[in-house]
Amino acid sequence: MRTALFVALVAVVVGVLATAPLSAHHGAAAYDVGKKVVLKGTVKEWIYSNPHCLLTLEVAGEDGQVVRWIVEGQAPNVVFPAGYRKDTFTFGDQVTVTVEPVKNGRPLGRILAAVTADGKTLGAASSQSTTPSVNQP
Amino acid sequence: MRSQLLGILVVAIVFAGDGFAQTGSPDGWLNPDWNKPAITGANRKPAPRRSLTGMWAPAEGPGAGTQAQGVQLKPNNGRPENELPYTPYGRQLYNSHRALEGKDSVLPGNDNDPRNRCEPLGVPRYNHYNIRLTQFFQDEYKVAILYHYDNRWRVIWTDGRRLPKLVDGGVEIGGELREPRFFGYSVGRWTDDYTFEVQTIGMMPDDRVWLDSTGRPLSEQARITETFRRVDADTLVWSETIDDPKIYTRPWEALRMTFRLHDPRTDIQEYYCSPSEQENYNKVFGNPAAGTKGAP
Repeated sequence: MRTALFVALVAVVVGVLATAPLSAHHGAAAYDVGKKVVLKGTVKEWIYSNPHCLLTLEVAGEDGQVVRWIVEGQAPNVVFPAGYRKDTFTFGDQVTVTVEPVKNGRPLGRILAAVTADGKTLGAASSQSTTPSVNQP
Repeated sequence: MRSQLLGILVVAIVFAGDGFAQTGSPDGWLNPDWNKPAITGANRKPAPRRSLTGMWAPAEGPGAGTQAQGVQLKPNNGRPENELPYTPYGRQLYNSHRALEGKDSVLPGNDNDPRNRCEPLGVPRYNHYNIRLTQFFQDEYKVAILYHYDNRWRVIWTDGRRLPKLVDGGVEIGGELREPRFFGYSVGRWTDDYTFEVQTIGMMPDDRVWLDSTGRPLSEQARITETFRRVDADTLVWSETIDDPKIYTRPWEALRMTFRLHDPRTDIQEYYCSPSEQENYNKVFGNPAAGTKGAP
């Protein structure tokens, strides 16, 4: 099953992310930090809500099997500066979303980048400093 | 003709005098401006006397106040210089906390963070939890701070009243025992025209509140000292020192963050902790991500 899920992926890139999002609400422990997965799929639902935004996608693999992914962003006020809005994703949209998957192999992840149906490119659905922190060791 | 000129003059004064550049402002609903030019000698304006009024946010951007890995000056990352001076009880308490952040984090669904039950975070955790657009209002008796997260606010009295006496079970006021509070009892005074010092005591006991998102503890014996230094018209430095002899062997500084003044008309999105939204999130995402119960 796990293998099948990953066959459904368009691309898998493993490596340390230079711009890993700052976790802010529910921690990073669940994530396979550094792994990057690119999903091309059809939007089923976009919940723009606290505590985290949730995007449900159906992604078809090469074998025709469709896998339903749920990927998260931070809360609306956090993702707003990155350009995410309530209507960024709508039912039926064809989108490409780059995610950091969870460790346990389920089709879950957090949004690192997205290309919307109208071709708009968005960055991580998380909070970032506009400049590097000088206060945190 | 004269009235037209007067009208033009009034409009010119109104728009020239607010000092804020207009950014995204659809239908007058201003978006936060996170790309302000740096304050330099050329645009620096003097601070007003004895005033903190305004909408403030971390100068380094919206992520700078997140403090997901623990309080700003001591992130819980395992580095020796960031190890806190725990008492034996403080360490025992820390070890009993299962946090979602920090070096000892657990998976979602396995935590015991009171935040995830939408409990009030208390003072000073609001200073360390996703602090972003933060409003200060003041009158001759008090300063009020409106935190973004969960639309919470606190009052710091400036009318000369004394800080209550910290006693077992709460604080003593006028010979009576008063109850502990999530926001404690705060009094503040201006130590000079640009520096405001706040003392807070009488917070909730250690089974009700945490200090930060990594599970660092705090007790009802804590005394929090905050300093707000108005560097110039657009810059505020917010510092915080924790003195909690039940949990820590000595006082230590947790925060020294620079804040930037924002347009007071900026629209602030809601950032509530809603129990039903929390429950749905855990069901749909949190629990499956942790490998526990739930879909998919």
